[in-house]
Amino acid sequence: MAAKLLPVVKLATKVGIAGGAVYVAYDSGLLGGSEQGSEALQKARAAVPPAIEEWMKYFGLQTQLPTIPNIEFSPVQAWNSGVRWSISRLSEAPTKAGEMTTQGVQYVRELLK
Amino acid sequence: MSERELGRKLDRCLADGVIKLGTGLGLGIVFSVLFFKRHTWPISLGSGAGLGMAYSNCQNDLRSHYLLHRNQKVER
Repeated sequence: MAAKLLPVVKLATKVGIAGGAVYVAYDSGLLGGSEQGSEALQKARAAVPPAIEEWMKYFGLQTQLPTIPNIEFSPVQAWNSGVRWSISRLSEAPTKAGEMTTQGVQYVRELLK
Repeated sequence: MSERELGRKLDRCLADGVIKLGTGLGLGIVFSVLFFKRHTWPISLGSGAGLGMAYSNCQNDLRSHYLLHRNQKVER
């Protein structure tokens, strides 16, 4: 009787755990729209340092972690500044090439003197 | 769409992509361990599905600016 019930109980436990994981993911807005997703990411980022501190205290490690610098990185700003830099270098390229050619010719002339 | 609004939408897309990829990966790992004898394919499937959901959300978000929404009054 118990031998027959054991596989059923195992399957029920596995289904329960998997179903619970899916429900938790759905309930916390991880599978919703983009606004919910970005809100969840902000909450996670805010919750990480206190959680790390608690775990450190739990394990008895009282070392002071260096504070993680608040990196403000915007991909759009980075992309735009990259485009501006590339275009400005491209516009200066003919002038720079001319100057470097003149310098190179002068250098060679002085070598040949 | 103004550049600021576009920037905000793209930031939201990236954040959502990270969240969905992580969630898909996590759920894929759970299913792989519990039901599929630690094979890799549920993890790949979960990650891919998460990325696809993020892509779809981003697409709808970027298109929504050009669509007439139900709560907007139609002026005659």
